[in-house]
Amino acid sequence: MLQTLFDALSLGSLYALGALGIALIFGVMRLVNFAHGDVIAFCVFALLWPSTDAMAIVFAGQLPWYLLVPFVLLCGAGLSVLCEIVVFRRFRNANPATMMIASFALGFVIRYFLLMLYSSRPKSISLLPALSQPIEIFGARLPLLQLITIVATMAILIGLTLFLRQTRFGLEMRAAAENFSMARMLGVRANRVIMGAFALSGALAGAIALIFGSQTGTVDIQMGASIMLMAFIATVIGGLGSLGGAVLAGFLLGAASVVMQVALPVDARPFRDAFVYGAVILVLLFRPQGLIAARGTKERV
Amino acid sequence: MSLLALSDITIRYSRLTAVREVSFSMTEGEILFITGPNGAGKSSLLRAIAGVTPVAAGKIQLAGQDITGQAPENIARLGLSMVPEGREVFGSLTIEENLLVGTGMQARDRTSRARTASDLEAVYMTFPILKDRRNGQAGLLSGGQQQMLVIGRALMTNPRLIAIDEPSLGLAPNITDQVYERLIALQAQRQLTLLIVEQSSARAMMVGGRMILMRGGQIVLDGDARTLGSGEAIQAAYFGYEDH
Amino acid sequence: MSAVSSATETSLTGEVIAAKKQARFALARKTIVTPILLSLLLIAITLITVMTGSRPFNQTVIDVLVRVIFVVGLYIFIGNSGVLSFGHIGFTCLGAYAAAWLTINPIMKSSALPGLPDWLLQTRLIYWQAAILAALFAGVAALIFGKVLMRLSGIAASIATFAVLAMINTIYSNWDSVTGGTSSVVGIPIIRTIWPYLIGAVAAIFIAWAHAISRSGLALRAARDEPTAAAASGVDIPKERLVAFVVSGAVMGLGGALMAHSIGVVTPDTFYLSLTFITLSMLVVGGMGSLSGGVIGVVLLSALIQALRWMEGGVSLGDATFALPKGIQEIALGVIMIVILALRPSGLMGNREITLTRSNRNT
Repeated sequence: MLQTLFDALSLGSLYALGALGIALIFGVMRLVNFAHGDVIAFCVFALLWPSTDAMAIVFAGQLPWYLLVPFVLLCGAGLSVLCEIVVFRRFRNANPATMMIASFALGFVIRYFLLMLYSSRPKSISLLPALSQPIEIFGARLPLLQLITIVATMAILIGLTLFLRQTRFGLEMRAAAENFSMARMLGVRANRVIMGAFALSGALAGAIALIFGSQTGTVDIQMGASIMLMAFIATVIGGLGSLGGAVLAGFLLGAASVVMQVALPVDARPFRDAFVYGAVILVLLFRPQGLIAARGTKERV
Repeated sequence: MSLLALSDITIRYSRLTAVREVSFSMTEGEILFITGPNGAGKSSLLRAIAGVTPVAAGKIQLAGQDITGQAPENIARLGLSMVPEGREVFGSLTIEENLLVGTGMQARDRTSRARTASDLEAVYMTFPILKDRRNGQAGLLSGGQQQMLVIGRALMTNPRLIAIDEPSLGLAPNITDQVYERLIALQAQRQLTLLIVEQSSARAMMVGGRMILMRGGQIVLDGDARTLGSGEAIQAAYFGYEDH
Repeated sequence: MSAVSSATETSLTGEVIAAKKQARFALARKTIVTPILLSLLLIAITLITVMTGSRPFNQTVIDVLVRVIFVVGLYIFIGNSGVLSFGHIGFTCLGAYAAAWLTINPIMKSSALPGLPDWLLQTRLIYWQAAILAALFAGVAALIFGKVLMRLSGIAASIATFAVLAMINTIYSNWDSVTGGTSSVVGIPIIRTIWPYLIGAVAAIFIAWAHAISRSGLALRAARDEPTAAAASGVDIPKERLVAFVVSGAVMGLGGALMAHSIGVVTPDTFYLSLTFITLSMLVVGGMGSLSGGVIGVVLLSALIQALRWMEGGVSLGDATFALPKGIQEIALGVIMIVILALRPSGLMGNREITLTRSNRNT
């Protein structure tokens, strides 16, 4: 029982962090960023030395954790900001479909860039090996990593909330997410806010990369995509642009997946995801604007 | 020297010309009403001054600087504070947060922080209702309270010019009276320069000041609101009798 | 008195209908140039291919024609409704597997896919009959999903279609006895001659055109451009969207069946995210508001991919051979797509169709 709860929370953590990364950018730019998953993959690969050998040559991965974590977060933030400056800045006034396809094309470029440097074979990497040892809590044996995942996610969420609520930059970002044009008329610098959103979103991608990389112990070009699909859905169910909604929906999706895994009859278990997606459609039918409708539904001019 | 100067401004939306070669200027401390029927191009003009709508031709100067084609945030930093049509409060932010959004333009040192605090106190003095609900969500305020909030929000940036688009829109007449009462008191007290767009010229005649009447994207009358208001010229201009 | 008035009314209605019919006919005559020109383009490409007689080139052009069917299918829904759908490749998957079920040798079928019902295990159809049935099957599936989904709009509808795609993929990846799970279903008769694919692509183009000028298609485009006005003048938006969804679903199914016959193998992951994105990209780069945009997007991007592949293989200039490193092809494709979209945010064709006289707006 406790195990199930922890499974749900740790899976939900990944989805919630992913959804948050998408929702942050959607809030200020109305862009659904499909390249986010590839930013996650990039962060994991940044730990390795470029080589097409099957063996992973660990590079930054050998750093002690207090250097490793900032390094990966910075990688994500840096790449994400670079994407904004080089690509997305040119699409500020484009329609959402065009922006979406552009972000997909960008993700494609990042993915094949990694493929060129590292080949498409998944490689195994042991990241922070001390964390995979199980520990005992209330009589249940849980991997320490799972606990750390949950605690780290909570810390990130609390930190982000404080940042958004207490800082000047957070205030400007929330104002811009709700009504971009009005915020600009009050002197809020558009480029700064958008770049800030991209940096935060990229750092979140780095966090996911660390967690996911140490959980699975492999490095794979495709690894971003699997989380992204769910995170993307969580963003919409949560109410596009609503950060709280994205987090909530991320945890709900994680919980739904884990609970169905346990509750479904054995024959139906392989089809678990189909049930999850079915539930997604049902939620959308009853709440097309998402669980928590974002207020800033006004289109940008 | 004039604070705001427009010369030959033309605004187009694809094939439709909303404003055609409009020129005017206003001096510091002036109240200028732009009035005219629906579709006269008043709001387009205001949005162009704020940098939200691009101009097709012409030049806009604010305090001697050319601001044509500048980003809205840069124009705001030069001293224009815009109160757009429909008020556009940040509904999910608290009232105090709404007031603080525009204060990011000032330097972040101790004196300017103290100044922000005193500005905030001043706005709360003028609109006590905002102080009572300072930590409440702005989206829950009534229309009249929201109008006061956005005027307060504009004041917080210490602007040289406040541009207000239809402050009476969607408000009951007695609430509109209250809003104007405060606005005019503020203007007298702080020597504000106000550029106000209103559909009806009645308010301008009541308040006084200068009035520009627009129709079909052009200025048809420009003069003192009280003297213009009494003449028949305004009726003709407003309804366009001379065309028929 | 009342009899007289009702009589005039009837004759009036009759006149209106006649006028409408005439208008429809005039519209058809005015717009038919577009599908004809697009078909001629495809026929020209096919004829050149047949004349060169190169096997690999033949296969490449077959791929192009199949993608034309996909993108035209996408256009029928996305272009006319303005709602982005990520789910259509799901219907392609349904079509491809239906074709596999109907055409694989019964002996192979009963060992590989024992979970199929008896009548289906015994069936063995010719490929074109199977393709038509596959299109119908996909159309029916689109009708069922569409009944539920078309109540949504905007981004919620897009995500719901994404969920449909993921759902179909999950089911087909795990229902081992009927779909073979994630392993490939082999033994689908391979059709190497190019003509059936050409016929399929041309048929798709004419279906798209016929839908676009039908009452339903016109109403849907009106609703795309002016939702409030269209709803006020009695356009039942969910219904018109459903019509487009079903027609496009069937076209996607047809494309799926033909794709199965062009490669001879199907797996669920063939019809998942990468195919979804490549086809959507072709539509958006070409211009999602127009049929010509879709077709031209396919032809141009396919030509680009082919050229890059060719350069990756090595180009000799004089004595030296230049070859692009592996992976550059995809990177270049991505970069070029971004550049095109940055320069022309509404695609190469925008909302325009190609005609003989001059490009006119298709609104």
